[in-house]
Amino acid sequence: MTLAYVILTILWLSLIAYAVLGGADFGAGFWDLLYIGNKDVSKRRHEFINHALGPVWEANHVWLIFLIVGLFTAFPSVFSTLSIVLFLPFTLALIGIVLRGAAFIFRVYGTRSDKYGAIVWGTVFSFASIITPFILGASAAAVASGRIRVTSAPVQADMTGSTWLTPFAIVVGLMAIALCAVLSSVYLSVEAKQAQDKELEDMFRLRAIIAGAVTAVLGALGLYLSTSEDPLLWQGLLGHAIPVVIATMVVGLATAAALFMRHYRIARVLVIIETAGLLGSWGISQLPYLIPPDVTVESAANSQSVLEVLLIGTIIGMVLLLPSLYYLFSVFKLPYPAPGKEREAKNSSVKSV
Amino acid sequence: MSDLLAARAQMGTSLAFHIIFAALGVGLPLLMCISEGLALRTKNPEWMALTRRWARASAILFAIGAVSGTILSFELGLLWPTWIKFAGSVVGPAFAFEGFAFFLEAIFLGLYLYGWDRLTPRAHWLCSFPIWISGLLSAWFIVSANSWMNTPAGFVIKNGKVTNIDPIQAMFNPSTPYETIHMILACYVATGFGVAAVYGWSMLRGKRDGYRRKGLMLALAIGAIAIPLQIISGDANARFLNDAQPAKLAAMEGLFQTTKGAPLQIGGLADPATGKVYYALEIPRGLSWLATFDANATIRGLDSFPVNDRPNPLPVHTSFDGMVASGFFALFTGWLFWLLYFLRKRKLPQNRLLLICIVIAGPLSFLAIELGWMVTELGRQPWVIYGYLRTADAVTTAPWLNISFLVFTVIYVILAIALIFFLLRLARTPLPKMEWAELAAGQARSQQQQMPV
Ligand code: HDD
Ligand code: HEM
Ligand code: HEM
Repeated sequence: MTLAYVILTILWLSLIAYAVLGGADFGAGFWDLLYIGNKDVSKRRHEFINHALGPVWEANHVWLIFLIVGLFTAFPSVFSTLSIVLFLPFTLALIGIVLRGAAFIFRVYGTRSDKYGAIVWGTVFSFASIITPFILGASAAAVASGRIRVTSAPVQADMTGSTWLTPFAIVVGLMAIALCAVLSSVYLSVEAKQAQDKELEDMFRLRAIIAGAVTAVLGALGLYLSTSEDPLLWQGLLGHAIPVVIATMVVGLATAAALFMRHYRIARVLVIIETAGLLGSWGISQLPYLIPPDVTVESAANSQSVLEVLLIGTIIGMVLLLPSLYYLFSVFKLPYPAPGKEREAKNSSVKSV
Repeated sequence: MSDLLAARAQMGTSLAFHIIFAALGVGLPLLMCISEGLALRTKNPEWMALTRRWARASAILFAIGAVSGTILSFELGLLWPTWIKFAGSVVGPAFAFEGFAFFLEAIFLGLYLYGWDRLTPRAHWLCSFPIWISGLLSAWFIVSANSWMNTPAGFVIKNGKVTNIDPIQAMFNPSTPYETIHMILACYVATGFGVAAVYGWSMLRGKRDGYRRKGLMLALAIGAIAIPLQIISGDANARFLNDAQPAKLAAMEGLFQTTKGAPLQIGGLADPATGKVYYALEIPRGLSWLATFDANATIRGLDSFPVNDRPNPLPVHTSFDGMVASGFFALFTGWLFWLLYFLRKRKLPQNRLLLICIVIAGPLSFLAIELGWMVTELGRQPWVIYGYLRTADAVTTAPWLNISFLVFTVIYVILAIALIFFLLRLARTPLPKMEWAELAAGQARSQQQQMPV
């Protein structure tokens, strides 16, 4: 494996991390919007989501930043090309990300005293949480579809959606929303069970199962469309990615089973593997291309010296980062004791900022 | 508006917005670290209450900082795809390492802001160290990337291709030491005077309790220590520009003709149409002396550069003088305060005029940061990578940049209004009871304890 592939693997892992961590944040916004019904449950659920996201959302968000800067450092021309061609969807996704981050924090601050502000920002949060994964999914589909051609002529911005609003891209975008919804409802059922809130637990469990089924249907539809619209991806999936594809399907079924039997912690692990499998099979299927069919990993890679510095820096960074990240999650999300952690706080339930 | 102008305006607006939060993101964690440390040492609840208030404000400020920073990372590609292809391939690692610094910052910030009742007091305090250290590191990395745009290094252009890339040399380019030190000091100056202004304001309105006095003193201590260093380092920056970017220096000083024994022109309007500086206060030979320590030295004027290589001196000169003036104002205010304090045997001076000056010095310090960046960025024009890539060649070919500029401007306005609204509300929430057991981290948690006050 060459250095370029090593870096690409790291970037892909960051993408998966962003999907399983950040994606769940998006999903939380999705559920926020859908829910109509009992006021009291709704309020509890709201606070629950605030509580679950508060400490971690910024750290989750940084994976995206890391992905972007990593991409333009390791594959500068790819970032440059995509920024031009996908100018419109990227701008829209950016607006979504921005509004979501701002709305979340304003909503948390708004809930306590003024109702109106909380409702407005809450709605912004939810809409932004739905639109953003859709566009990111559609943009990914545009790349995978092989419709972005990089020849000797300068690339042009696609403002009409001929690459990123095809039926295939739309299905993938919807699937991204559904996947986020699954992720967040699985995580929230774990937390609800921990907080011994049976009502919320049942609610999130049901949603996880439904959203999971929707994801599976959309996935099948996407695969079907890819046979005609995106033969390259289809061949890739059937070719060198087939083991991953099959494993992903099996894990998907296992996730549903775990949820059904209320083994939430197991379901949480499985759904993370499932997401990694989905993104992984896409990645593997389009190798050796970064932007099929014209740009390969090797042709787009930055010079060896930069990649080396990047790799060394990344290793040093990870040595600092991973233990810190583990500490963050062990203080807020895991039931085990950790140094410096107050004991009584172990089973504390809903708390706001 | 032309697409190029729209892109420049959008980039400038985004950066001008972000830098406020970036400066606070570097400065505030240090303030919190010191005040919480003092609290743990003295067991004084007022220090703890201060820390908690600052933490509460930080939660919003950092979120907006993260959001506006995200906009920037995208914009580097969306608006300047040619630039990012070039810069990414040479100084990309600086951005990537900055990403790691953000990561550490975000992780410990999560622990710090939301961990009051989950961590022991000591562990909580220790979490503040990685925050300010990584804030400092991220500022260093990003400014080193900007320095590279001013004095590109670490690569060779062969047949139109960028080769022989050495990213370490690119990060440690000639401008790096000057710019990074100046910027990091600026963060402490602005945070120090900015926070002091808040407490100065409430003192002016008659709230002169121990809590506010402590806030004022700690903030002004940081500001007063940083500001002289800031001015010294700025002076070194200017002298360095004489060698590295003479066109920028000429624009900064409004020097149109190459002159032996050049005068220092303070204030005034440098009109590029007529090639004259109007209404300026002139100090004969001042510039030559300042730039080289030789009053008769020759300084290059704008006329020594081809017409299409000249930056516009009007905004650059005005911004430069505004920065310097703000810096000296802050210096006098800060030092007068401490002079009076020690003269009066450690009694806090509460002179109205001095308090008013403190209230003004806060916003002025932030203005100085904005103006300093205008000097750096506008003074580099028409280049985006000095001597290698022109701004006009770096801009994207995508259409609708006007609309994009408009949309993002609206977003910034909304964010700013909402932010001010929430901060004002935070300022108006009544102070907590000044009791240690109520305030310290990891202590008895009554209902109120569940949130930082
Ligand atoms: C609190 C803010 C502040 C204050 C009081 C000052 N500066 Fe400054 N200055 C900055 C904040 C700043 C800045 C925003 O941080 C800049 C922009 C780029 C940089 O590295 O720092 C800057 C840039 C900057 C540059 C351009 C550097 C370049 O483009 O390479 C020069 C020459 C100076 N400054 C000089 C001074 C002098 C002589 C000062 C004396 C009072 C001064 N600054 C006070
Ligand atoms: C945060 C403080 C900063 C401020 C206030 C600032 C301000 C500005 C302004 C006003 C412009 C428009 C200039 C013009 O086109 O006439 C600009 C352009 C630009 N800045 Fe900065 N800047 C800052 C820091 C940075 C940093 C750290 C970088 C990169 C590492 C950067 C990269 C750019 C680029 C790529 C452009 C567009 C090209 C150009 O106009 O030269 N800036 N900035
Ligand atoms: C001189 C200019 C700059 C300085 C000193 C600076 C410094 C900082 C600091 C200290 C933070 C964290 C604190 C906070 O969130 O409020 C931050 C956030 C951020 N900055 Fe800047 N920055 C500068 C310019 C830029 C530029 C040009 C970019 C674009 C590449 C950028 C990208 C970001 C991002 C993405 C974040 C969010 C990180 C997160 O998610 O936590 N910054 N910046």
